[in-house]
Parts: sequence; structure tokens; C-alpha cells
Amino acid sequence: MPQKRVVLKNCGIIDPRQIATYLQQDGFKAWQKVSTEMTPEQVIEEVKTSGLRGRGGAGFPCWLKWDLARKSPGIEKYVICNADEGEMGTFKDKYILGNDPFSLIEGIAIAAYAVGARQSFIYLRAEYHYLLDLLQQAIKQVEAKGFLKHVKIDIRLGAGAYVCGEESALMDSIEGKRGEARYRPPFPTTEGLWQKPTTINNVETLMNIPQIILNGASWFNQIGTERSKGTKVFSVSGDVAKPGVYELVLGTPLRELVVDLAAGEKIKAVQVGGSAGRIVPYDKIDTPLSFETVLGSGAVIVLNESRDIVNAVYKSLEFLAEESCGKCAPCREGTKAIVGIMEKFSKGEGSERDIKLLEQLSSALPLSSLCGLGQAAPFPVMDSLQYFKDSYQSRIKEKKVGVVK
Amino acid sequence: MMWMDVENITLTINDSSVSGREGMTILEVAKENGIDIPTLCYIPELSPTGACRICVVEVEGSRALVAACHTPIAQGMVIRTHSPKVLETRKTIVELLMASHCGFCMICEKANICDLRKIAADLEVGLPRFETEKRFYQIEDVSPYVQRDMSKCVLCWKCIRACREIAKKNVYGTAYRGFDAKVVVDCDQPLNKEVCRDCGICINYCPTGALTRPKKLGEEKKGKPLVISS
Repeated sequence: MPQKRVVLKNCGIIDPRQIATYLQQDGFKAWQKVSTEMTPEQVIEEVKTSGLRGRGGAGFPCWLKWDLARKSPGIEKYVICNADEGEMGTFKDKYILGNDPFSLIEGIAIAAYAVGARQSFIYLRAEYHYLLDLLQQAIKQVEAKGFLKHVKIDIRLGAGAYVCGEESALMDSIEGKRGEARYRPPFPTTEGLWQKPTTINNVETLMNIPQIILNGASWFNQIGTERSKGTKVFSVSGDVAKPGVYELVLGTPLRELVVDLAAGEKIKAVQVGGSAGRIVPYDKIDTPLSFETVLGSGAVIVLNESRDIVNAVYKSLEFLAEESCGKCAPCREGTKAIVGIMEKFSKGEGSERDIKLLEQLSSALPLSSLCGLGQAAPFPVMDSLQYFKDSYQSRIKEKKVGVVK
Repeated sequence: MMWMDVENITLTINDSSVSGREGMTILEVAKENGIDIPTLCYIPELSPTGACRICVVEVEGSRALVAACHTPIAQGMVIRTHSPKVLETRKTIVELLMASHCGFCMICEKANICDLRKIAADLEVGLPRFETEKRFYQIEDVSPYVQRDMSKCVLCWKCIRACREIAKKNVYGTAYRGFDAKVVVDCDQPLNKEVCRDCGICINYCPTGALTRPKKLGEEKKGKPLVISS
């Protein structure tokens, strides 16, 4: 399947500082259609038929979030755009925000209309502070054109915490508290920001909305696989000749992305979904990229044969252990324990007993952790134990130290 | 209200049918029916926080286990509170907590009344196998009312909630992240008498020996004067 530009349609074509260039590319036509011809229920119905699922990693049906928030009692509701792209190896939102902020604002305008929100927040990652001015200018220009009479869009900057990309911690952060995961239920759609119904959508999810409204749900529904509709933007990095942002139809084999497009050679494994993502070994490289198989946030990190898997997993877990919010016991203590064991392996002191402990931890953490961070943290460990157990065992036998090939 | 008293939700816990009222949590229903689910961070009179994850139970149809202390019951729920999967997970969590705990049980004042030790004994968790580093902090004995030994803290957030919701003081907060997370006062200052008065509510809620009432030198000797009658 070829590359298809749906989300990135305007990137590189329009000038992100000039709304006129966006209007030339059918900009705000979708919003005009929504505001004049459609009721909020119709908009939600349209998104439902399109089969759009959240692009942040979990793949929750977008329409369901909107519908639940719309039906929740209360006048005060919020729409949050999650632009806290903290996952290792993900840079798609940076590219989108820097090249086409107007589509995002149009998406937020439609989402706010569908949900019935009068206030919206863009939660921007602290590291993307240089995009703040561009986004604020874009919002001002859209406001001047009169497209944002029903909703006010504010930008909130994060403070560099990875866990604040998790929706409940993100809301805590906007409220001005320390970003900590909340327990669910109640879900954000009933009790979210300031205990009011809230929908939180990824940048990429909202970018799809204007296209769905303009071209129709059935057009969108035809793209992709049975349960994963549309396209996905991938950020490819690691041992490839052409790293960058690629947009592919969902269901495209991983090989096409990393070998054909990004020109990766001598691949050992591919980490799909960032630090807490799944590790796909080279013999499974024909796996289609979809919500049914592997996807995550769209981070694709390619490791070639010179890389050491145990070391890569160690580094991933070190990151996750540091970024855990420290609220729930399994994540706080469990990630630290995994790092401790991985450190032993990197020092050449690992044993068969440690593999057993790793297995025990990686079965307990996904079952008991409070939020996605702890639940997904042991995935690299699990996958590396499944596909690359020999590299652990060779370290035990030969007492290999440090980074080994 | 009358309708509140009607037990209108039926669910299955450990293969027996039980009923509960709307808004009850799994833990409350289990307690009513004499099923013992261990808890560490749960206080009945305060809002749940879901931090310790020891009360996890298996709910049919849910991918992960859910914490009983904050999950509301729903019609037709099928729950297992002591399945092998649940027990295995609970044991791992307690073992992890014990692994980073300072382990001065022999000389700890709370030795026989420590909640963590009780749970560990109940779940038959022996000496922890994980070699994580242990938390060590200096004992904070500035305040004449509360002595804090954060090495013994298991981060259940009970003191934070008790201070906020019962004493209405908000003295405690959380700081740092990951393994370094810590219950702090102000910007990680030792507790002093300016911010904290002597209500001592947090001490009563602390499950371990982290918060204690400081002993004054010679306090035991203070009592009725010894009168020797001839």
C-alpha cells in the first residue's frame, strides 16, 4: 500500500503563519459545513461511521469519547488536545504542529461543537515551547476570521514530565497540580478536568476530523483494515538511512515502512510504539501496522545488527523508571526492580534466577498498575525475553559486560 | 432517602451471588459479605487514592485487574478476590514494597502492629528476592509533635489525605518522581511547629513506623510520685 497523505495533506504546502494559504486549501470548509448544516449528534454519527480511533496509542474509538462527554450532565465541558508527545522516538506531532496548526484548530473547533465545550486547551509539551508563538498566532488569525466564536482555545505548557501525556495526569497538570495518574472510573468523559466532562484527543486524531467531515465518513472508512481505519503518521528513527515522518495507510506491513521507505539495512529488531512499545524481531517484519497488531503512538525505532537488545531494553526501562509518577506501588517499585535486574545483566552478573524475576515482574505490572505507564513498561522486557532470550542467556554464560554486539 | 437502602445490584463474588447498593465499591460489598481483601492505602472514611494496588481483584471482562477500593460495583459483575492470578500479583506488589523498605523491623516501634508486615505475613511473602536499593532518609525530629522517619514510608498517601480531609490543613504534599517520590512538607523541609500543630491525626493513620509521636526523654518516669508509707 502506498503512502497516503490525509493528516499531512497540507504540511509543506501551506504557510503555517498565513491563514490565507490554508483557506485556499479548503481550509475551514469542514467547520462551515458543520456549523451550518450539521447538528452535534450528526457530527458524532459521522465520526462513528468513519471508524476513527484515537491516535495516541490506546486506539479508543473517538466518537465514543465525544458521545459520552456530550451525554454527561453539565454545562461546563472541556476539549483537550494532547500535544504532550513524550514517547521516545515520537516526533510526528512536532512536525504537524509546526507545519499545519490550522487543521488542528479546525479539528478542535469541530470537536468542541460536537461535545458542547466552550473552553478548549492545547497541552503543549515543554520541549516544544518554540512552537508556542506559532500556535498562538494561528489561533489569533482563526479568531480574527470568526471561526472560533463558540470555543476559546488556550495553550498550556507542560513542564517536561513524560507521565503528563497520560490523560489523567495531563488534567492534573492543567489544573496546576503535580501530574499524577488518577484511578478510573470515573472516566474523564464524566469527571475530567475540574471534575467536569472532558474529552482528550491526540493531535493526530483531531487532524483527521476536518478531512472526515469534508470527504465523508464512507471515504475514510474505505482506507485501512477492518478495525483500523484511515492512515497513521509514523516517526521513524534509529538505524535507517532516511529517518523522518511518514504517513501510511493502516495495515501496511512494517517492512514497507522501515525497509522500503526509510531504507533500513541489516535490521535486528524494530521497536514500535516508543520506550514502552513492542519489540518486533526481523523475522516478523511483515507484521501489518494496525491497532490489531502493533502500533502505539507511531514511534518506530530501528535497531540494526550492531545493537544489543538487552542494552536497548535496559535504556528504555531506565527512562520509564525515572518518569514514573511514583503514585502506585507496582510501577514505582516494579520499574526500579526491573532496572536493577537489567543493570545486573549489563554488568555481566545476571543469572537464570533473574530471568524468572523479570518474568514475574512483567506479568504483575501490566495487571496491577494504575495507568498506562506501568501497564506498558514491561512490554520491551516481555518481548525481548520472548524473541531474544538467547542474548540474555549468552550474557549469563559468558558473563558479558556492557554493550555487547 | 428510602431508595438508597434498597440493595438493587446483584453481582457474583467468588462464585456466590451477593447484592449491593448503587455507589458501593467492590471492597465495601466484599466486606459486608465477610470476604477479606487486604488493603494498605485504603481508609474507609476518606476518599480512595488507589496507590498501593494491593486490593486488586479479577473482574471478568476486564483485561487488567482492578483495585477493589475505588471500583464501583455494576450489575452482573463477576469478581474473583483470591484467584491464583490475583494472589500472585498481590504477593509481587508486597514483595516489591518490602524490597525497598528499610527493614528495621526488629527495632521498629511498630514491629508487631505494622500493616505492611501483617499483609506480608498473611500473603506468605518471605524475604524479598528483588535487590532494589532501599530508601534511606534522615529522621526528621524537629517538630515536637510528629517524628518522621521517611525510610519506613511506603507511600500510601494516608497522612496526606488525613491531613487534608480530617485536619483540613494540607501540611503534606508529594514531591520527586519515580522511585524517589516522597511525602514532603513545603519544599522538602523537616516538619516544624510553624506549619503543624499537635493534632497528630496523621500518626494514627500511618500503616508503618514512619510517623510516630516523639518520645521525650524520661517520659516513662513521669507519673504518680512514689510514696513510701511506713
